[in-house]
Amino acid sequence: MAVVSREVEEHAPGSGGEVSLRAYLTQLELDHPEWVVHVTEPVDPAKFEVTAVLQQLELRNQYPLVIFDRPLNLLGQVCDFPIVTNVYASRQRCAVALGLGPQDFGQELALEYARREERRLQPILLPKAEAPVKQVVQTGDDADLRQFPIIRHHRMDGGPYIDMSPVVRNPETGVYNAAFLRTQYKGPRKLGLHMSPRHSWQIVRNNEERDCPTPIVIVASHHPAYFLGALNVSPYGEDDYQVIGSIMDRPLRLTASETWGDDVLVPADADILIEGEVLPNVREVEGPFGEFPGTYGPQRVRWVIDVKAITRRRNAVYQDIFTGHRDVWTMGSFPKEGAIFNRIKGVVPTVKAVHLPASGVGRFHCYISIDKKVDGESKQAALIALGAVDFVKHVVVVDSDIDVYREEEVLWAIATRVQADQDIDIIKNVKGNTLDPSQTDDILTSKMIVDATKPVRRPFEARLDIAHDVLARTVLEELIPAGQLARIRD
Amino acid sequence: MARLFWVTCPFCRDRFYCHYGDLRHKPWNLRCPYCEQEFPQEDSPKIDE
Repeated sequence: MAVVSREVEEHAPGSGGEVSLRAYLTQLELDHPEWVVHVTEPVDPAKFEVTAVLQQLELRNQYPLVIFDRPLNLLGQVCDFPIVTNVYASRQRCAVALGLGPQDFGQELALEYARREERRLQPILLPKAEAPVKQVVQTGDDADLRQFPIIRHHRMDGGPYIDMSPVVRNPETGVYNAAFLRTQYKGPRKLGLHMSPRHSWQIVRNNEERDCPTPIVIVASHHPAYFLGALNVSPYGEDDYQVIGSIMDRPLRLTASETWGDDVLVPADADILIEGEVLPNVREVEGPFGEFPGTYGPQRVRWVIDVKAITRRRNAVYQDIFTGHRDVWTMGSFPKEGAIFNRIKGVVPTVKAVHLPASGVGRFHCYISIDKKVDGESKQAALIALGAVDFVKHVVVVDSDIDVYREEEVLWAIATRVQADQDIDIIKNVKGNTLDPSQTDDILTSKMIVDATKPVRRPFEARLDIAHDVLARTVLEELIPAGQLARIRD
Repeated sequence: MARLFWVTCPFCRDRFYCHYGDLRHKPWNLRCPYCEQEFPQEDSPKIDE
């Protein structure tokens, strides 16, 4: 494994210990039973019966982690693999997955993620015989994808999709790249693969120029900290296995693959791995697919994966992300917030908080609060955010009296502190995101800065407030019966 | 968003959309996500682009 310019921390063999999705779920149900629901009736994931449940919950503004105990597989049989989904739909659950407390769901979660993202942990190599993911090994015709409860998420989807995280290895540098790429079920041992022109795409294209297949390992299920780690935005050439281990806060345990041996290492503690080859210069139609912005990506001509092996735990849990909904918006937000905050902090030291809200699909809107000392600081902070993360499209900068996690407050600041002709700037022809449905160009987009801060150099009207001492000593539990407090709804 | 075109499936008459650069006026068969039939785009009763 190549070592990049950063210092990579070594660990004594065995110092990491096993991580397990089952153990995480068991502990979560013990500690926070209110966060987990089970669907015990059989459901057919390929006929929208999983996502219909999630959508019904969403209509009630409820986002629990959902375990479907008896889903059907693609053969129409009640299968041995429960489905777990909506894992990432709450920041509290993400904090717990990363070993933090649920109370750390705000800025603490974002900053801790950023701190870990800067570090590198050398993975630990495990013999295959000790790797939990090798408890069941299927090759050849036994590696049949139909055994799994693969989900068809949305009405226009081209088929059932696995939407977790494939890993590819750069054969020239030896480093691994993990990304979230959609893979469409096309046959018992065949998947369609969509890639945007980023890191994985570059590795596959380099192999294709030599007419070589690209080994690919789909990490279909693992402890949620693994997938949160896979969201890192490290530069091309950095080893994602090192970064993922760092974000998990323990070295990632790896083992040899079934198909390529030590040439391609795979996560040893995964629940389910699918090994395959991206066939060189082979394309088929793929999609449409309901993508992260909450709209469908169109049918395209894309790559094909030939499945070589499936390895898994004996009691594996099948994992899925409810893409285009809060599950994917939350997991897309805080991993970027900390990095943006740190970049701004270096230039605007009075920055207080950064948030990428669900209303902006966890990517397109960025709310920044600063304790502004001089006019112009707000725009400086906004420009840094736009430059730091290319997903960010609309930046709203507010004063520190506004809680960026409470969207109504941010919109109030826009309502009362913004004059459009003076406080809004449009920047045209900036690199955007191909999945943004509002873009009229394949690549270019427009970005917007809304300065919703009060001016420093002229008097400005004050926000309403209650006498601070009275507010501080007013405790609702002492004044309103507990039963009445608990049943309050809007 | 890349340029796209809406297609009506000649079999089930439902509508879906495709990437213009990848598929419009190209020899690929399109695949209806609803009825799973494949068809050349010329067979579509209606294409909106």
